[in-house]
Amino acid sequence: MDRKIGSALVAGAGISGIRASIDLAQMGYRVTLIDRAPHMGGILSQLDYQFPTDRCGMCRMLPMLDRDAGIQTCLRKGLFHENIDVLLGTTLAAVEGEPGRFEVALNQAPSPIDPDRCIGCGQCSDACPVSVPDAFNAGLTPRKAVYLPVPHNIPNTYTIDPAACTRCGACEPVCPTSAIRLSAMGRQAFRILVVDDESIIRQSLDAWLGDEEGYTVETAASGPEALEKLAATPFHLMLLDIKMPGMDGVTVLEKARIIRPSLNVLMMTAYATVETAVDAMKIGAMDYLIKPFEPESLIPKVAAAYEALQKTAYRRQTVGAIVLATGTTCFDPSVGKNPMGYGIVPHVVTSLAFERMLSGTGPDGGRLLRPSDKRPVKKAAWIQCVGSRDLQTGADFCSTACCMFALKEAAVARRVAGDDFQATIIYMDLRTFGKNFERYGQQTTSTEGIRLERGRVHSIVPTPGSGDVTIRWTSASGKIREECFDLVVLSIGQRANPHTTALAEGLGIDTDGFGFVKTAPFSDTRTLRGGIFAGGTLTGPTDIAESVIRASSAAVNASRTIHRAGGGLAEKADDLVSCRDVACEPPRILAVLCRCENNPEYEKALDVLSARLQQDPAVARVKILDRICTAQGWDSLKETVSATVNRVLVGACRTFIYGKKTRGLAAAFGLDPVLMEAVAMDHHQGLAAPATVAAIMAGLSRLKNVSMEKDQGIAVVNRALVVGGGIAGMSAALAIADHGVDVTLVEASDRLGGNLAWLHQTIDGTPIAPFLEDIIGQIEKHPKIEVMINSRVVGAFGQAGHFFSTIETAGEPTTTAEHGAVILATGGGEAPTDEYGYGTSEAVVTQKELETRIHEGRLDTDGITAVAMIQCVGSREEPRNYCSRVCCPTALKQALWLKSRKPDLQVYILYRDMMTCGLSEAWYTEARRQGILFFQYRPDRKPEVRITADEAAPVSVRLHDPILDAPVEIAADLLVLATGIQPRLPETLALAYGAERDRDGFFLEADSKWRPVEALKAGVFGCGIVLSPRSIAEAVATAEAAAGRALAILTADRLPAARTTAIVRHSLCTLCLRCIETCPYDARFLDDTGQRVLVNPAMCQGCGDCATVCPNSAAIVEGFTHRSMFGAIEGAMAV
Amino acid sequence: MTQAIHIDNEDWLSGIRSFLATVMDKTGIDAMLVPTRLAVKNRIMPMLVSDPARLAQADPLSPAFPVNGAKQLARLTRLPAGGKLAAVLRPCEIRAFNELVKLNQGKRDDVVIVGIDCPGALSNTDFRAFADRHETIDAATQAFCATAFSGGPVDEAAAFTSACRACNHPTPDGADIAVELFGTDPTHGLTARARTEMGEAVLAGLDLPPAEAVLPQRKTALTETLDRRRQYRKQMFASVAGATDTIRGLSAYLADCVNCYNCRAACPVCYCTTCVFTTDTFRHEPFQYLQWARRKGGVKMPTDTLFFHLTRMAHMSTACVGCGQCTNACPNDIPLSDLFSLVGHHTQEAFGYVAGLDLSQRPPMCGFEKEEYGEVVGI
Repeated sequence: MDRKIGSALVAGAGISGIRASIDLAQMGYRVTLIDRAPHMGGILSQLDYQFPTDRCGMCRMLPMLDRDAGIQTCLRKGLFHENIDVLLGTTLAAVEGEPGRFEVALNQAPSPIDPDRCIGCGQCSDACPVSVPDAFNAGLTPRKAVYLPVPHNIPNTYTIDPAACTRCGACEPVCPTSAIRLSAMGRQAFRILVVDDESIIRQSLDAWLGDEEGYTVETAASGPEALEKLAATPFHLMLLDIKMPGMDGVTVLEKARIIRPSLNVLMMTAYATVETAVDAMKIGAMDYLIKPFEPESLIPKVAAAYEALQKTAYRRQTVGAIVLATGTTCFDPSVGKNPMGYGIVPHVVTSLAFERMLSGTGPDGGRLLRPSDKRPVKKAAWIQCVGSRDLQTGADFCSTACCMFALKEAAVARRVAGDDFQATIIYMDLRTFGKNFERYGQQTTSTEGIRLERGRVHSIVPTPGSGDVTIRWTSASGKIREECFDLVVLSIGQRANPHTTALAEGLGIDTDGFGFVKTAPFSDTRTLRGGIFAGGTLTGPTDIAESVIRASSAAVNASRTIHRAGGGLAEKADDLVSCRDVACEPPRILAVLCRCENNPEYEKALDVLSARLQQDPAVARVKILDRICTAQGWDSLKETVSATVNRVLVGACRTFIYGKKTRGLAAAFGLDPVLMEAVAMDHHQGLAAPATVAAIMAGLSRLKNVSMEKDQGIAVVNRALVVGGGIAGMSAALAIADHGVDVTLVEASDRLGGNLAWLHQTIDGTPIAPFLEDIIGQIEKHPKIEVMINSRVVGAFGQAGHFFSTIETAGEPTTTAEHGAVILATGGGEAPTDEYGYGTSEAVVTQKELETRIHEGRLDTDGITAVAMIQCVGSREEPRNYCSRVCCPTALKQALWLKSRKPDLQVYILYRDMMTCGLSEAWYTEARRQGILFFQYRPDRKPEVRITADEAAPVSVRLHDPILDAPVEIAADLLVLATGIQPRLPETLALAYGAERDRDGFFLEADSKWRPVEALKAGVFGCGIVLSPRSIAEAVATAEAAAGRALAILTADRLPAARTTAIVRHSLCTLCLRCIETCPYDARFLDDTGQRVLVNPAMCQGCGDCATVCPNSAAIVEGFTHRSMFGAIEGAMAV
Repeated sequence: MTQAIHIDNEDWLSGIRSFLATVMDKTGIDAMLVPTRLAVKNRIMPMLVSDPARLAQADPLSPAFPVNGAKQLARLTRLPAGGKLAAVLRPCEIRAFNELVKLNQGKRDDVVIVGIDCPGALSNTDFRAFADRHETIDAATQAFCATAFSGGPVDEAAAFTSACRACNHPTPDGADIAVELFGTDPTHGLTARARTEMGEAVLAGLDLPPAEAVLPQRKTALTETLDRRRQYRKQMFASVAGATDTIRGLSAYLADCVNCYNCRAACPVCYCTTCVFTTDTFRHEPFQYLQWARRKGGVKMPTDTLFFHLTRMAHMSTACVGCGQCTNACPNDIPLSDLFSLVGHHTQEAFGYVAGLDLSQRPPMCGFEKEEYGEVVGI
């Protein structure tokens, strides 16, 4: 099939950039993923533990379908996918063109260390005399100027920090592989030739430009000498005096331009010869300076020439769309008034530093010790909202992640430091707003030793007489509390990345007053410039799960742009390289061992190893080659190509293994890549180490027993079924249909729209009806979308790629739909209640009823004087023990609307914790400014409501106010209850597709952080409030995310099977069916006859659970047959 | 509803035969799998009897235990047989069959299982000698019954197998109908008790008088039997554990093994149609044998002996019902059953599982558990 190729640029290789890249790569695009930093992973490279597992789990983002397109390894170590090119140390310099065809310029910092040659031995770092604080460990440890950016990269290549490096050159000679070339770094690579007959000028320019500015400067005392130097080596800039004895400057310029036509020349002239200088510009000089001049007038001109040169080195490419995912930075608490004494009071650290203190790669190997005196930390306090919700630091927003971050840190710290560890979290509102956050919070804080203190910190001072820290804070009741702690952790907020703000300005996309990127209405990811989308925290602070959702949403929108511009989805199939058919030949293996050290010990180890390999009759030849990572080595490897061997074993460095070289080698040999086995010979272990030898022997065994059969994969039905016609279902349907894929949209009611039908406007006053009309209009006129109203899915079976669903439509015959993926978007609704007198009086309504009254113009604001609202009705306690997230902003929205209608109306909001996360915090600030009164209540002391006979104030609400520490009675005309959201996902529907529901009835995602919109069973997705309560824009983001993930399946003709998948040997199978029961991916099933167990090779992840329960190897995993494993064990045992 | 009936007859053997014939006749059973005397020799084998007249040679009380009938019943019930079946089984055969049912190798839906209290059985060698010492096989059975259920020795020359002496489930709890013999007098007739709804339906249709309540003597006899067995079991476990607690010890225990795989063929719960040890997987490359020899200076042929037994333990110890057929089948007298019972006891205990007792309890390792044995796997 000949399809057009699309490509995309993803800027920022943090978690969102990785997610967006994987999504786009899985859809078949070529992706260029760039990051300013020299490592991947963004801030998550520093975080070892994630809520709710208190582990990492990032690898769960790796593609499950077409796994072989990438390398399945720890994502914190690296991202390896054949469609993704990762460029580190690279920034986006400029973007020109239109959506669908952007010309981008990428500024790639030249690397003084050749990553192909660096073997990560660290000798350079040992030699480096510079020591600076290591940003990776939040400054808690020192590092050298030549260093490993993170300890876990593959391949872990050293890099040089140009800001710290003194260019002393100590590292260059110690490098055993000559990988370091300092001269390639920065300004040192910019060569200037100073030509002047006066030595004082030559010397001062050398000093200014060389010693001070860091350029490489050479000098010449005369024209002929200058020309000689120019002929010998290239220069970037020549500073040329006009008046010189012998050959004058203009003549030198003329001759120089013949030797080096592109040379920049800056003329230096006395006042008398300015006219000559002007003439010189006519024949190619770029500018002139009049002597005498100060450095201030020279240096900008040189810098301009340097930057112009750099720009010529920009990597330019054409991409269809751009995803920005450059993230946020952490708030620096030392700036401004620094009320927390950060950097001044000892033992006050940031939450990021604390995370490093917990880490095994942190300053103390994972033991929780105080940074300065190394005393074990037994009592710590977390102070929330440092740099968040703080108008003094210009942050009228909530950083969203810090509450859960603090809870997690407290939980992990307790595990690390022991049960006698005490944690105190001093907070304003505990924002456990996300899925399962509330229960995690309750569980964590119910642990003995973890304590919550509602209050605001007043001061932090060193405890006199000890190294501890005393915090004084105002508690909820207004009393001043004081307590001493071993350590104080500042839960620092997120801040817009200043680089991003600058970039946004350059790209012409708007940012808000905080520097976050502005988006189109009802979208979290569409920037105001077409073709450029934002993922992650760029459009406002958020947590990992939402960042990942936004990233997927941005990816699918990027894909829509490319598709609309005429770019295709899948890449043109590779021209089939003709492979020799060697299936029937006995193995004849060429074993190649790489030599990169020259010492007798290494030589001996090579001899022993090759003798061992040669004992095996399957090994035809053993070759030892020098440094096959180099171009020369690679050539010598290609020279070994011969038809007499049919398999190749290569023992080399990790750099070789993780490159894309095995494929190239296979092509050179004319063999299927599966017949190439590259084994890492670990430099840290040594060649003679048992682990190295065992790995090589295991590789040999695998090669001997390799199976060349490849499953054809699963044919895909290019149609999606979307269940639920609310905003999520409709958004998902449109996103899919915009890619030319058919969609069947099933809606149970008689019209599309779901909850949007009764919603009036958003908190910022954007009316909802026009938006809904527009979406419904798009759906109805979309040629690829078939809408079925009054319809339900009553049964389904099948697997990713091919499902069959039975759909019942009122008054119509039952139909069957065949589809490749399913998206469940059945939504949810307002939870019912009978609390607080609801149902006994017209004056007690729910938030939905209030919205409806407003929407329908039935609320008479003139006749009322006071409105009370109670939040968390039946929420955040069993059985609905979760936060519904939208109710607090909704209460603010209604309160502000009421205030706008009738400014003297009293509005009281009774809340537990105000959950105005992210940018909605500003509405909370605004509400207080407008005089709306907030009363906090505790679940063990709920408000009491009495319905009175008084027509003027039919509702009386009594509560205990913690600040006054006294009972308060509110007389209101209207009481509004926020009852939260409950999901609407019938169990039978979920089960029909093999999806599960969580204990609250929401769609259970495969992983709450890393795979938030898909079920564990491949091909089944969920979006909208069936996942968890969320706003319209957030629901749209999940819908687009789910659509993108589904498109990875739907745009393929066949889902390729990975090499490592399970198969069934039917002649041995006894049909005990244990393999079906044990398969965690539902990839195994019984065929129609009930007499054969089959495997869906696209869904199978090769985990091998089936092979372990099968007693006689009827279930095996390709590549891990008994024979191959025996050989590997044998190899290991024989050392 | 009939829960138990009384079968009055002058001796147990004829009582059982007439009971089975009645069941077959009144319940519309097409064929019954029951230990029966062979026409050609004084020997007893499981036989699928379709002619009720042949039940006159049925002998489920004999101490003969040539094969575990569970495997035979699985062959009959794996797919619909086109007729209604009954089977007369020992308690360990029922447990083994239940394991096979869980593994989808047989089905209980279309078969009525009649279980009989089991005092124990003889090894094949011992039984042949025992049978040959009596005029007829019936006489041998009568002699056996005279003492077996009161706990006395069977015969001076023949003793119950080690597996039987260590068996702690001598009553047929998993049967549809259980015939109770422990503590009863042979002249006093028999009690057949329904244990399932299917059993109740069968008994209700037989038109036989109801039985008395459970006799106190039965309880006493069972308690004594179980006490004695527990004690034996404990000693046996201790001695086997002591002998096999090192690889060297285990190898010595199995030193007489010639890789004939008879133990596996005899094992009722070893359900693979083709054992992996008889496939290509273990026909190593000649180079491999040479490598092994090179490494240690010599390698015993056939190889993989210990591997075979360890694999069988890994595969089957969660399902081992302790019937003793592996020992019975070994041509070189290796006490395999003692070893497998010990290992089975520990693995089943680790998963809180008892093989064959409860049909609703899923076998260990069947489901995917995200979190289990954290202390073993380290995550």
